[in-house]
Amino acid sequence: MKEFLINIDRRIIFIFVALGIIIPSLAALRLPIHITEDVKAIYDTIEEVGAKNGTILISFDYGPGSLPEVQPMAIAVLRHSFRKNVKVVGMSHWVDAVGLAQEAFEITSKEFGAQYGEDYTYLGYKTGGGSLVINMGNDFHNAFQKDQQGNNTTELPVTKNINGLADFDYVLCLAAGNTPDGIWIPFGQERYKFKFGLGCTAVMAPDQYPYLQSGQMNGMMGGLAGAAEYETLIETSGKATAGMGAQSVVHLIIIAFIILGNVMYFLYGRQKGGGQ
Amino acid sequence: MSRDQIIFIAFLFVFAVINIYLFGSDSLSADWAGFGTFLAAGITLSLYSFLYKDNPLFKFAENLYVGVAAAYTLTQVWYTVLFPDVVEPLSGLDSQSMSNFWLIVPTLLGLFMLTQLSSATFSWLSRIAFAFVVGLGAGLSIPRTIAANLLAQLEPTMQPIPPTWDGLNLLIILVGVVTVLVYFFYSVEHTGPVGVASKIGIWFLMISFGASFGYTIMARLSLLIGRVGFLLEDWLVLELPLF
Repeated sequence: MKEFLINIDRRIIFIFVALGIIIPSLAALRLPIHITEDVKAIYDTIEEVGAKNGTILISFDYGPGSLPEVQPMAIAVLRHSFRKNVKVVGMSHWVDAVGLAQEAFEITSKEFGAQYGEDYTYLGYKTGGGSLVINMGNDFHNAFQKDQQGNNTTELPVTKNINGLADFDYVLCLAAGNTPDGIWIPFGQERYKFKFGLGCTAVMAPDQYPYLQSGQMNGMMGGLAGAAEYETLIETSGKATAGMGAQSVVHLIIIAFIILGNVMYFLYGRQKGGGQ
Repeated sequence: MSRDQIIFIAFLFVFAVINIYLFGSDSLSADWAGFGTFLAAGITLSLYSFLYKDNPLFKFAENLYVGVAAAYTLTQVWYTVLFPDVVEPLSGLDSQSMSNFWLIVPTLLGLFMLTQLSSATFSWLSRIAFAFVVGLGAGLSIPRTIAANLLAQLEPTMQPIPPTWDGLNLLIILVGVVTVLVYFFYSVEHTGPVGVASKIGIWFLMISFGASFGYTIMARLSLLIGRVGFLLEDWLVLELPLF
């Protein structure tokens, strides 16, 4: 037994993790979700923009590899925006975000009867990174002359009055890479001083906190938990809320294995000169 | 026949039986949507099969992903960047073609990049394009990065510390910044007060790594939850009360 516990096969841990996800999903385990200030700040900003029928820019900068974490954020924010009559302009720095962004717009616009061109538009993917953002800040219509469907941005009701990034009431980046701290903050927010928020994968979240502290971004949703908080705020249960029960159970399983591993190491590992 | 080969064949058999049942019972529709779900489930399980051991199914799914991603990227770049921003203006397909002849310059620079793949006779041309990219990138990035990532971060670190909970947070940040900087200052021997500060810096670093590790576990589990949700709900068509 001692040898078994010291040398647990990783595949046994995988089985525990799999069961920790499947059983809570089938058993409808739901735990309370507490709202953090950082997520509430994004929610409040969308509410403020809605009160003046403003326009926001959402940068979809993620791919299928981060879909379970970031796509629920996109859908929740779009639902909130359309519910509050906020006009939405979408774009992507990531080429593999195009299909996901279109899917998010399709799902949410149908729910609220939002009209393409009037209430929202999707500009598609564009190369350039920082230089694209500078170009958008100086002359938005030059940076994106046409949307994804080939319409002129100077003629679309949702974009015709947008001349630069500063004309957006809020810019929200949904990211799985370096676009917030590598592109949007240095080349956009610092230069054009627009209000900026972030929804990102949990891996990225710790590195983004300094930008909250400095006020360069006003709010942040981190990972599935951040998405679940936003879904709770808009009182709509989505895939993030559904996944939080399983998430919590597996966290407990991993904590248990970490404690077990450390106990076994201190009891027996040191006696063998550094453990197994 | 080895144990791994038996497991491999059994996995394929079980997957086939489940799909025959799903299509036979109309749980999966016999159209492109149903076929897409079947394919996505198969590829998902193939990739997760690596958790047991490297195998041909994993290799197939991995290479398929690389191929599909490359083709998808190529089509998106062609239809959203190259055609509307380069081909259309330069070929006179749009009304502003005459005023867009300056596009020849970036287009040529882009083509020069590709000469890197050719023989030495032409590959030197790529250096012009690379020089342009390096120069432009450095010129754009250096001032913006210093302003956004250094100067803007210094400001909240050096604020006055009020006797409140927020003040305590500011104090912790200040101590963390100073001690971690001391830890990475190798020109002085880490003994005495410098050694104490350096040790405190190590603790801040360890806590930071722990926080990053915790968030990383959360991220990876979220992805797993997403795929398990897909397999249970979309493929096996189970009624999940929460999803």
